[in-house]
Amino acid sequence: MIDTITWMGLFNESTQVAAAIDELHTLGIPEDKMEVMTGVPYPEGALGRHREWLSLPYIVLAGAGAGFLFGLFLSAITPHLYRLDVGGHPPVGLPPAAVITFVFTMMATIVSTFLGVLWEMNFPHFGPTPYHKLVTDGFLVLLLEFPAALEAEVRRILEAHRVHHLGEPERMPL
Amino acid sequence: MSDVRQPAADPQPPPIEGAKVESPNSVVEYSERLLLAERTDSEINQAVLQPMIQTGRGFWILVSILGAIVAWGVYAWGYLVYWGIGVSGKNRPVYWTLFITTFVFWIGISHAGTMISAVLRLLKADWRRPITRGAEAMTAFALMMAGLYPLIHLGRVWKFYWMIPYPNNRFMWPNFQSPLMWDLVAISTYLIGSTLYLYLALIPDMAMARDHTGSWRYILYRALALGWRGTEGEWQKLHRALSIFSVAIIPIFLSVHSIVSWDFAVTIQPRWHSTIFAPYFVVGAIYSGLSALASILVLVRKGMRLQEFLRAEHFDSLGKLVLVAGLFWTYFWFAGFLVEWYGNEPVTRELIHEEVAGRLAPLFYLQMGANLIPLGLLIFKKVRTRPGMLLATTLLVNVGMYTERLLIVIGSLQRNHIPFNWGTYRPTWVEISIVAMTFAGFALLYTLFSRIVPYVPVWEIKEGRLRYTMRRIGRLLVPTAAEIE
Repeated sequence: MIDTITWMGLFNESTQVAAAIDELHTLGIPEDKMEVMTGVPYPEGALGRHREWLSLPYIVLAGAGAGFLFGLFLSAITPHLYRLDVGGHPPVGLPPAAVITFVFTMMATIVSTFLGVLWEMNFPHFGPTPYHKLVTDGFLVLLLEFPAALEAEVRRILEAHRVHHLGEPERMPL
Repeated sequence: MSDVRQPAADPQPPPIEGAKVESPNSVVEYSERLLLAERTDSEINQAVLQPMIQTGRGFWILVSILGAIVAWGVYAWGYLVYWGIGVSGKNRPVYWTLFITTFVFWIGISHAGTMISAVLRLLKADWRRPITRGAEAMTAFALMMAGLYPLIHLGRVWKFYWMIPYPNNRFMWPNFQSPLMWDLVAISTYLIGSTLYLYLALIPDMAMARDHTGSWRYILYRALALGWRGTEGEWQKLHRALSIFSVAIIPIFLSVHSIVSWDFAVTIQPRWHSTIFAPYFVVGAIYSGLSALASILVLVRKGMRLQEFLRAEHFDSLGKLVLVAGLFWTYFWFAGFLVEWYGNEPVTRELIHEEVAGRLAPLFYLQMGANLIPLGLLIFKKVRTRPGMLLATTLLVNVGMYTERLLIVIGSLQRNHIPFNWGTYRPTWVEISIVAMTFAGFALLYTLFSRIVPYVPVWEIKEGRLRYTMRRIGRLLVPTAAEIE
């Protein structure tokens, strides 16, 4: 016997999706059982969903810290490993050290932002995944999982909000 | 045969009331702004993908010519490596020549791309949307060309690895107190940052292209889309990452040209040893970079028939930015020149005389004319909004900026504090060929990029469209923008 059902519905209008999500919440389907896919970034909260907590800023800070330390090592420590005194200059000058430390800090910030966001998005992910190609043609796709007992109610709510193409999702390699 | 897949027939979006029904291939003239145009998302996808895929004979002729110039330049570089750096016109005292001049020029060109994208993204300026990708690509390719010059300039290119930060067997590290090492690190950082920034914003459009193409393009776009589906979480994370990138990359782009200027300014060479050099170089880079961007956008718009996306309003805004950057450049140039002229230091006086009334006078007046005349022209809206006039004006700016770098690098080196060590310089065919190689290489990479990657950021255009609606104020129907970012 099937305990849960997974459906995918296509919508034209964002307001219809938001209203449908609100009613599905009321029906008892939790947040983590619904996923919306769009071809355009809608404002946070526009579709009635909660904002996700991101660890990206902390990853970036950690990366920047590591870059700062590496830059400091190159500019302030390496001249002491094989000391060459030149023309009355100190082996480590503060202005040149500041330049190198700054540039390595920024390089690590950039690289950690990129790697951090890929890690947060779980990318790359090429395996079969529920998806519909009409997402990039402007349709909004609502993917939801719910107890089989709620099938009739869920269908009624989605059809009331003018869903297209309601059915089991196709899992396609991305 | 085109390998663009048409959108699935079922289900069809309901027709928008009042929408124009046009073939995706036709160029539709809208009287209203693009962001308000009643195009469906599917039509916008097709309008961007079609010019990428339909390449005519002109495209292949262009690629062949550029490829031939690059091949000749590679031969010249090989000749230089085989016979040694003596085949260039380098001498004492002119030890930095056409290579370093062109290096500074390409670094300058690379500046505007990131600036236009990152700064305007932070300021939420909507007119940036169709031009950001072209600008970011310009940065990446210009930096690649710039990055070749330190290798070429070395002569013994196989010794390049000495600059990579790792110790030799005596634990001697590269000298990070040297501005030449700062150059390497800063350019690498900017190249990595610009490329990642370009790619990150490209992921949703790679997914769009993946969903609408077949054959080798599908394989390529699928790999580059990394499995993008457009979930709310993915959009939120992408937005956050792009915001962080926009903030982080601005000090990087400022630092890169500052560091390039310090290559000159930390020496005691007359006319180089100046505290104003860093901001002067940065402003000059923005001036030449914005001008190059305007020229490129005009050419790509014509070549790819993107008139619907790259419109007069975009050129107008870009033209205003070029004008402002040019005014700043004039101010900084005059501030530096005035102080040096007033100081009347003998070698500086000789150099200024050479420029104003001596052998370098033709270059000096070319520099001033080509940089200042466009400022007078860009005041007029007609010049900013007519692509042909804007192209001519901005090309003139870059002739002026290249000449400026010639005067700074080669002109200044001909005179120094030791009069018996004064000299002159003439470029050789090897140097000219290698410089031509980088110009052709840039054009070739850019041309190929525009046919492989959606040149217009489709998702950003669609996002911008979400922002706008029309509101009646008195007798007028005016566009109003919603705060959604």
